[in-house]
Amino acid sequence: MSRGTLVYAAQRLVLITVTAVVVSSIVFIGIHQLPGNALASERRNNPATEAALLHHYNLDLPWPQQYVLWVQGLAHGDMGESLVNMGVQITPLLLREARVSVTLGLAAVLITIGVGLTLGTIAAIRQNTWVDYVASTSAVVGYSVPSFVWAFLLILLTVSGFYAWTGGLVYENIGWGKIEQIPVPALALGLPYAAIVARLTRASMLEVIRQDYVRTAWAKGLKARVVILRHSLRNALIPVISILGPLVTGIITGSVVIEYIFGIPGLGQEFVSSILSRDYNIVIGVFTFYAVLIGLANLAVDLIYPVLDPRIRY
Amino acid sequence: MAAVPSTVEASQEFLISELPEQSSLGQDAWRRLKRNRLAVVGLVIIAIFFVTALISIVWTPYPTWRQALGTTYAGPSLLHPLGLDDYGRDILSRVMGGAAIALGVGVGASFLASLTGIILGMLAGFFKGKVDALISLTINIFYGVPDLLVALILVVLIGRGLFNIILAIALTGWLGMARLVRGQTLSIREREYVEAARTIGTPNLMILSRHILPNALGPIIVQATYLVPAAIIFEAFLSLLGLGIPPPSPSWGRMASEGYKALQIAPHIVLAPCAALSLTVLAFNWLGDGLRDAIDPRMRR
Repeated sequence: MSRGTLVYAAQRLVLITVTAVVVSSIVFIGIHQLPGNALASERRNNPATEAALLHHYNLDLPWPQQYVLWVQGLAHGDMGESLVNMGVQITPLLLREARVSVTLGLAAVLITIGVGLTLGTIAAIRQNTWVDYVASTSAVVGYSVPSFVWAFLLILLTVSGFYAWTGGLVYENIGWGKIEQIPVPALALGLPYAAIVARLTRASMLEVIRQDYVRTAWAKGLKARVVILRHSLRNALIPVISILGPLVTGIITGSVVIEYIFGIPGLGQEFVSSILSRDYNIVIGVFTFYAVLIGLANLAVDLIYPVLDPRIRY
Repeated sequence: MAAVPSTVEASQEFLISELPEQSSLGQDAWRRLKRNRLAVVGLVIIAIFFVTALISIVWTPYPTWRQALGTTYAGPSLLHPLGLDDYGRDILSRVMGGAAIALGVGVGASFLASLTGIILGMLAGFFKGKVDALISLTINIFYGVPDLLVALILVVLIGRGLFNIILAIALTGWLGMARLVRGQTLSIREREYVEAARTIGTPNLMILSRHILPNALGPIIVQATYLVPAAIIFEAFLSLLGLGIPPPSPSWGRMASEGYKALQIAPHIVLAPCAALSLTVLAFNWLGDGLRDAIDPRMRR
């Protein structure tokens, strides 16, 4: 890694921090403009208890003051306390859940890239044959079917289908904690995006395999594997990498739904349940986490560019 | 002297007969679109869903909210072609009603998002400088945030009515359109015809509406078409998570989420709305691909 790259990465890390603070501040301020307060309910509390509770969460202060306190906490990595489950510290909770979400997300990205590149490459080198038509058509169908529909279909297949065929040997165990519980949700999450990657790879491969240097490679008698993988695919990857940024955002969005369906204890599930229970401290926390995760993922993508294309330097 | 007009006439006649049949860019694109089989199929499917949605507003086989029409979880039968759900409601009627919601949200959100994106994108691209810096900064910040979460928060903040859902989706969907229009405007504003218009003192508003917008319209139409299925999926996501249009409105996402708990014993409850949803999205994507190829043949893949 060159000096320039390090400087670039450092600049980006600063930008990620700024974005995270700005985004979470917007959410913080937006939520604090709501009428009422987070502890208001139909049940009438003892006024003294209520005052003590409000004081406990700094909610008795005017919001600009709360905001300053909150930013100070954030600077120390402290995101405050859950409003619903008093005493639960948010930062360790979200760190634990982020590990789950990142594991699921990485598995989905691997599936996306593996399936997408394979399908796209095969479609391109077999252009205008039935293989190409099947691959291209299934790509459009693939990304038109939303991830939760894939989830339902995969659950039906693994729960009823394989269970019956294998006499109960293979079944879908919904939840989280065992390694065999990862593939099905990751597949549901990754398939729509695999279709997009396949389409892009095909288009970009078709352009590359018509280049002179590929013809030269064939002419000097290199093996098909070398020509396709090293000369063609490596160069065809460059435009494909550009989709990885939006793809990561898409997979994070999709994981909210997938975690909800499969009961996976990740950030997405936490977000949905805390927004439903009006646990705004957690909502803001998850938001900040996601902003950082997306920023880091985009940074990783940008750092892959120069590896694939030495002409790009930072 | 007499020979001159006849020569001109003759050469004109010659030229006119040599010219191919005149057709506008729009007609050209429409002709190419009609030749694209998948795009036509997509258009037909969309038309069917639109008609279904319109019919469902005045008539469905059973009221979409009426419960206990028969045995709960009953599979398809003659009386109820798609079966009954967990409350004994007719699924066909609910899928029909869901079409109205899906298409209303899809088209409404795409329209609102496109309008916002076009206006802000043109302002940024045309005036450059501080206006552009402000708009581009907003776009870049919101690109770093998952749009579903923004929409979820917005729905909680502003409420769950049909219009609020459309608003929440549009507020997250305009970014891509603004980026596209900004880029188009940046390139079109440097063309000679814009310079010519500016030289004769055409006001900015006129340049934007008469010269820049029509020339950027092709990619805008394609992008707006892709925004419709994206918004439909988004609405389904919101409903699935329990933050969509409140029950008993028959949203496809909500139907799927209600049927999920009985997926194993009565898969038809989940499969019917999921099939309708996927088919609509697929049709719009086919149409979008066709439009893209038809409007800009160079983009063809």
